[in-house]
Amino acid sequence: MISRYLESASSFSGDIDDLVLWITLITGFWFLLAQGIFIGLVLKFNQRPGVRAKYVSGEDPKEKRWVAWPHYATLIFDVIILVAAIRVWTNVKIEQPPLDETVRVVAQQWAWTFIHPGPDGKLDTADDIRTVDELHVEKGKTYGFELTSRDVLHSFSVPVFRLKQDVIPGRIIKGWFKPTMLGQFDIQCTEICGIGHALMPGRILVEDHDAHESWMKALVPVAAAGGTPAPTTGGTK
Amino acid sequence: MHPTVRIMLFAAALSATACYRPDGATATISGKEMFRACTSCHMDHGQGNPAIQAPAIAGLPDWYVESQITKFRTGVRGAHPDDYEGLRMRPMSRQMMNADEVKAVSAYVASLPPVKSEHLVEGDAAAGAASYATCVACHGVRGEGNATTKGPPLAHQPDWYMLAQLKKFKAGVRGANPNDTTGATMRAMSSILVDEQMMKNVVAYVATLNP
Repeated sequence: MISRYLESASSFSGDIDDLVLWITLITGFWFLLAQGIFIGLVLKFNQRPGVRAKYVSGEDPKEKRWVAWPHYATLIFDVIILVAAIRVWTNVKIEQPPLDETVRVVAQQWAWTFIHPGPDGKLDTADDIRTVDELHVEKGKTYGFELTSRDVLHSFSVPVFRLKQDVIPGRIIKGWFKPTMLGQFDIQCTEICGIGHALMPGRILVEDHDAHESWMKALVPVAAAGGTPAPTTGGTK
Repeated sequence: MHPTVRIMLFAAALSATACYRPDGATATISGKEMFRACTSCHMDHGQGNPAIQAPAIAGLPDWYVESQITKFRTGVRGAHPDDYEGLRMRPMSRQMMNADEVKAVSAYVASLPPVKSEHLVEGDAAAGAASYATCVACHGVRGEGNATTKGPPLAHQPDWYMLAQLKKFKAGVRGANPNDTTGATMRAMSSILVDEQMMKNVVAYVATLNP
């Protein structure tokens, strides 16, 4: 349902949306009910001339159930939400499907550098393609990513993929995604990383097979020839 | 009409007049105001901060500052994956929204009195003097720069910064973009400096210059 209003472009974005939706519905329902009862009670027991307020100690089980029952309901729904959340978490963050390719993402103040494996599909070979602020991927392929930082904490976020992962200097953080929708989408840094944090947007370009191949063909000869690395494509404004 | 409603209507009309902007008027922000965004790296007087590789920019000519900010904005400079410092300047250059703002902040930078930077690079200035002969045509005998050949003044540039830029030119990290014509010139020139020691020497010589 959320995807009707907000683009959903990865294999797991739908699961995360469903989870968010269920949590919203459950908590929303109980919130509105509790507020309704609360307002109803306030109106029903409004101050009246000649009626004194009564001190309720809450020792009578009939009175206590106003607190006890919602408490049990909270516990039950908590468990339901936890089970659903752990299922999604396991699918996205714990288990990793077989990868078609791996890209390296290097975060710095205040830019993203992407190292794409090039036509051979392997990193650290002569045909790797480096781009600044633009990540090119192919629709339907499963990509692993390796996040590294050159300086401080950053966070790699692709909102349409419902993907967000912190980048920590000195560590290689791994994860995966599988784009399912063609188009150009935002990459954002979602960890305050200095004065230019807000000016650190990147773009992810999800292309079909042919477009992706021709993008690689246009750039590879320069890099593979051992000359200067492929021209970066992030210079547009 | 109820007195409260009358007062509310009057207040609404009054605030509406405050929103009025004559035709053709645009919001303006002075170069000095915009420069506040630069001070976190380049410091209050544009004297730079070597600890975070921010060079001194105070007193650089407006045409040079303008051309470099424009290069950063358009990806001609500072878009190479190995240009760590340039990639940091790139988003900052886009804080300025248009050419007029770039001009305004460039003029302000040019108006700041130049600051002589601390020496951080060891080199043989006497040996560097010979290499500097090649630089004179564009950067001037006393490192005063030359607007005609688009050579910026070097005399007040920090030595560590010049060394870093020479290395970047030589490695094609700066000046390799096809649209960077002045960078291409400097790339060719940097090739005469065979190794790092030669670069250090020429930088040490430039540090002795007084325009």
